[in-house]
Amino acid sequence: MLRFLQFTLTRAVLSLFTLLTVSLIVFSLMELVPGNCAERYLAFKNTQGSQISIDDIQAEERRLGLDKPFIQRWGGWISNVFLRGEFGDSCILRLDINQLLSDKFWISLGISLAALLVAYAIAVPVGIYSATTRSALANNSLRFVSYLGLALPNFLLALIIMLISTVLFGDSLTGLFSSEYRDAPWSMDKFLDFLSRAWLPIFILGWSATAFALQTVRALMLDEIGKLYVTAASARGVSGSKLLWRYPARHAMGPVINSLGFDLNRIFNELPVVALILTLTEAGALLIESLARSNDQQLAGAIIFLLTASIVFVNFITDIMLALMDPRIRKGMIGS
Amino acid sequence: MNLFRRKASSEQSQKLKEAYFTASQGQLIRSRFKRNKASMVAAFVLTAMILMGFFAEFLSPYSPDIAGRDKAYENGPPQIPKFWDENGFSARPFLYTLERERSIKTNFRWVITENREKRRYVKMFVRDWEYSYIDIDWNLPGEMFDIKWKALTTDLHLFGMDEGGLHLFGTDASGKDIYSRTLHAINTSLAVGTLGVLISFVLALVIGGVAGYFGGWIDSILQMITDAIRTVPPIPLFMALAAFMPDSWSSETRFFFIASILGLIGWPTLARRIRTHLLTERSQEYVLAAQLCGASSGHVIRRHLLPSFTSYIIVDLMITFPYVVRSETALSFIGLGLTDPVNSLGSLMQNVSKADVLLNYQWYFIPVLFFIAFVLAFVFVGDGLRDAADPYSNSKR
Repeated sequence: MLRFLQFTLTRAVLSLFTLLTVSLIVFSLMELVPGNCAERYLAFKNTQGSQISIDDIQAEERRLGLDKPFIQRWGGWISNVFLRGEFGDSCILRLDINQLLSDKFWISLGISLAALLVAYAIAVPVGIYSATTRSALANNSLRFVSYLGLALPNFLLALIIMLISTVLFGDSLTGLFSSEYRDAPWSMDKFLDFLSRAWLPIFILGWSATAFALQTVRALMLDEIGKLYVTAASARGVSGSKLLWRYPARHAMGPVINSLGFDLNRIFNELPVVALILTLTEAGALLIESLARSNDQQLAGAIIFLLTASIVFVNFITDIMLALMDPRIRKGMIGS
Repeated sequence: MNLFRRKASSEQSQKLKEAYFTASQGQLIRSRFKRNKASMVAAFVLTAMILMGFFAEFLSPYSPDIAGRDKAYENGPPQIPKFWDENGFSARPFLYTLERERSIKTNFRWVITENREKRRYVKMFVRDWEYSYIDIDWNLPGEMFDIKWKALTTDLHLFGMDEGGLHLFGTDASGKDIYSRTLHAINTSLAVGTLGVLISFVLALVIGGVAGYFGGWIDSILQMITDAIRTVPPIPLFMALAAFMPDSWSSETRFFFIASILGLIGWPTLARRIRTHLLTERSQEYVLAAQLCGASSGHVIRRHLLPSFTSYIIVDLMITFPYVVRSETALSFIGLGLTDPVNSLGSLMQNVSKADVLLNYQWYFIPVLFFIAFVLAFVFVGDGLRDAADPYSNSKR
């Protein structure tokens, strides 16, 4: 038990270290964007008619602490994020980023996780079936569908579904809430309304994740089925789905769980583009908004950091889950 | 007689066996690849598309930019040349003459009518707008990097028309020929992909190579950094970087910037694979033997380790390629990548995202089909190559 705690702690420290590295990368990228907050704010004031000078910019820089060296500013940013969970103010919108993001971030995370869940709920049984079946038709069509999932970008699928639904139903299926619920507080009705609209982004995001997961599961199962312990088990008289689930599937699941974090990464990849097409107002679309339209480095940095943090968190959870599930890994990692 | 035949066949199988055992790795991979039908088909499609992209100017009758637009045929549907109609046969494919009319009869709108009596014939090897196979005109930031070089200039095109247009895939809103644009877009996507893969390959080779060969604490630190970069979702990061581009940049500069970003972010996965290959190969006996003979690190890497996994590297590159193309397309699609005057598959798809396109101008979707075929072909070939390069793939199945 103590060993296990120790293992969990090491993993947590490693995850924290990864987060620190990522934050350094993100922060330096945000620094590279030409112009800083002070200049942008005063440029905005300038368009409102007030005269500004170099002195004004420098005073504003001092107020925002932008005259301090890079490492100090990074340290300030990261300690705010880690200790107080605050990302500061957005440069352009002049709003607290936490306020701006909180709901949107949780909704996007929920949608992404749901897409991941759907992907594996389909991929695991279908992948296991396709690894065991001998029917060439089933195999080839599955193979084709999963290749199509890799080749047909999600944004294209979103576009096609949206256009077809516009033609057939006269409803473009865009947005996450009906207009009457958009600003209402959370309630059961709002949640149901949300569900009735969220299935489309979930399906679209899950589409290529399913294709990937299907390939992984199938390849792993094929590897495991050929092994001797499966033959031995079937020689003992275990057969059918009991044989599959108790022996090879259990072993094949290890690497599958391990890849969950990277599947989430892939879903986050698709999120902004899909969100843009379906005009969802979640974090992904906000990212495009903050980058492409207004160059809001603070907001963009916060979003990328949050997305990465959730991936790191999922990786941490899967590591622990693997150690709990598989005694071999537990032994290898904890050394007991 | 029977005995003789059996002897012959056994001799033949002996020869086959001998050929199998003396075959080089490349020959083995080739023969295994040829047995995979889907991959062979994909390889043909891919080769055809690469050739189409490479000879885009020769194959397209019109210039893909605004210079080649057909003012009289905007948003025009595809025109398929015919060989015969009710007026009889023709050995040369032909189209009808289109007559544009605007008068009180047509409610003052342009109305295009076909004159079926007047045929226009398709001509082969026509001379039209001029182009060069080698046309380098880089205008990168900084005076020093401006490079201009033109060679192999010609104005020969595979087919065309004497008068009026021939638009196999129709035209877009400004009358540009979609067929010509698609071919040029394949060219651009290939170029972006090649440059992006090349950059990430060099980075991956250096970083993965150093980590894998030296191992120890160098490996641990490099692995930590690689893993940290790998966890950042790349497309949001691409978007953050692509937003740096000032609007004033020329399309060539944008092109290089996009390709470099794709390369600079794409390396970690590749680096990890190279490191893993190296780590396993490093402890093999033949490396130890070479080291005991006094070979230097560079010699061991060059002569022993690199040849041991060149085939894996090629396969990895083939697998990475479609993802780079897809990323470029996604970026261009949301308007952060290459924009309209440049013909990339992504910028062509941007036109598709309007609602009236599906209702009225379905031929805008033709480049999308090309894109899907392109990515699918790459994925199939990459997969086939991976199976072929795996020496245990025969014994597995």
